Amino acid sequence: MRTTWDDNVLFSVLLELTYACNLDCDFCYNDLSLRGQPLSYEQYEALLDELAELGALNLILTGGEPLAHPRFLDIGELARDRGFVVRIKSNGHALRGVRARRIQERIDPFLIEVSLHGACAATHDRQTRVPGSFDRLLANLEELRELGLRIKINSTLTRWNEDEIEGMYEIADGLGYRLQIDPEVTPRDDGDVSPLELSATREGLQRLFEIQRQRSAAASQAEPPSEAPVKTSSAPARPQKHCGAGSSGLAIDPFGNVYPCVQWRRPIGSLHESSLAQLWRRSPVLDEVREATVKVRQHLLGLGERAPAAFCPGAAEASTGSPFELHAPAERRRDSERAVRSLPVLA
Amino acid sequence: MSVRLRRDVRFRVVGDEAIVIRQRAAEVLVLNEVGARILQLLEVEPNLDELVDSLAQEFEAERSQLQADAVAFVAELVEAGVLEEVSP
Repeated sequence: MRTTWDDNVLFSVLLELTYACNLDCDFCYNDLSLRGQPLSYEQYEALLDELAELGALNLILTGGEPLAHPRFLDIGELARDRGFVVRIKSNGHALRGVRARRIQERIDPFLIEVSLHGACAATHDRQTRVPGSFDRLLANLEELRELGLRIKINSTLTRWNEDEIEGMYEIADGLGYRLQIDPEVTPRDDGDVSPLELSATREGLQRLFEIQRQRSAAASQAEPPSEAPVKTSSAPARPQKHCGAGSSGLAIDPFGNVYPCVQWRRPIGSLHESSLAQLWRRSPVLDEVREATVKVRQHLLGLGERAPAAFCPGAAEASTGSPFELHAPAERRRDSERAVRSLPVLA
Repeated sequence: MSVRLRRDVRFRVVGDEAIVIRQRAAEVLVLNEVGARILQLLEVEPNLDELVDSLAQEFEAERSQLQADAVAFVAELVEAGVLEEVSP
C-alpha cells in the first residue's frame, strides 16, 4: 500500500454512478444540487479500459444508490470483464430477488457493503425517511446470505443511534456479517456542515470505542495473532504520505468530475474534457494534493500527543477550508479515544 | 496442457510484481516479476508449450530450464486456486 501511495500508482477508484436514491437519508453527504452531463455508458466503457491500462485493481461502485443507475448491471459487468475487484456500496433496499442474483452472476462482486442506521425500525427508518426500510433491509440481508454473497454492514454513529450500538452488533453477529461503525458524520460534498448536527455525543463516541475495544480483545483471545514473517526492505527513505488520496486512489462523480478521494472534493478536472490518464499524470491540482498529504503527515507528527489517531484531510478541508486544520469532529474523536484507552479492558 | 485463471481470480501488475486476489477465499498473493509475466502471458496464451516459447524470447535461460520452472510454477498456482486446467 505504501508503494502505491509513494509511487503514485493508481490502485483504487470510486465511481459514484448516480445521486438518485430510493432512500432519503438525513445526513447524506452527496451534493444533490450538483448538475452536469452524466457520463454515458460508452464513456464508462472507455474509462474502465483506461483504468485497467493504468493498473487500477479496486473499483467501488457507489452513489447515491448505484443500483438506481439504469445501466448498473452493464457497467458492473464491464468492470468484471476487465478484471477489477468490484465492491458495491448500496443502501441494500433493492438487493433482493432477481436483481441480487443478476448482480452475483454478471458482476461477481468481491464485497457488497450495505448501510444500517440503527438497531430498530424506528431509528433506521427515521434516518432513511422511508417507512419499512429497516424490515426490508433485514429481510434482504437474510436473502443475500443464502445466495452466498460476501456482505459487510456499514453504519455511521449519530445522536440517534448511539444508544443502539450493541443492538447493531447483535444484528450483524446474528447474520454472520462484519459491522463497521464510522464514528464521524461528515459534511456534505458542497461544504454544508449541517449534517454534523447529528454527530454523536462524546459519551456516545466513548461507548462505541469501549465496545470496539472489548470486542477486539475478545476476538484476539479467541484467535491469537499468527506469527507472520516480517519482510524487511532496504529501499531508500521516501517522503511519507498521510493517505493515498490522489496518490493511489481517486473518486469520480456521476457527471465525470474527478476528485482525489470521496471525502476530498477538490476538483481535479472533468472526464468530458480530459482523459483520466491525462489528469492522473499532468494535473497540477493532483500535484498539490499529493504534496499536501506529505505535509499533513509531517504536521500531525509535529502535533505529537495532540494528533488524532484518525484524521481525514478531505473532511478537514470541507469543514475548515484547510486540509491541516483539526476540525471539531476529529478533536472530539481523539478525546474520546484517549478517554477509552485509559480504561482497563474487562475480562 | 492448458490453464486459465479461475473465474474468481483478479490480478494487476503493479511495478514489477503482480497482486493476485482470490475473491472467494478473500486471499491476496504477490508474485514476483517472472510470475507476473507468466500470468499476463497466460491470459492470451493458455497453452504451456507456447507460454514457454514466449518466455524463452524474453528471458535469457535454457528452454529446458524455463519449461521445468514454468510447469512447477503453474502447478503451484493450480494448487493455490489461482489457475485451473482446461481441456484442449
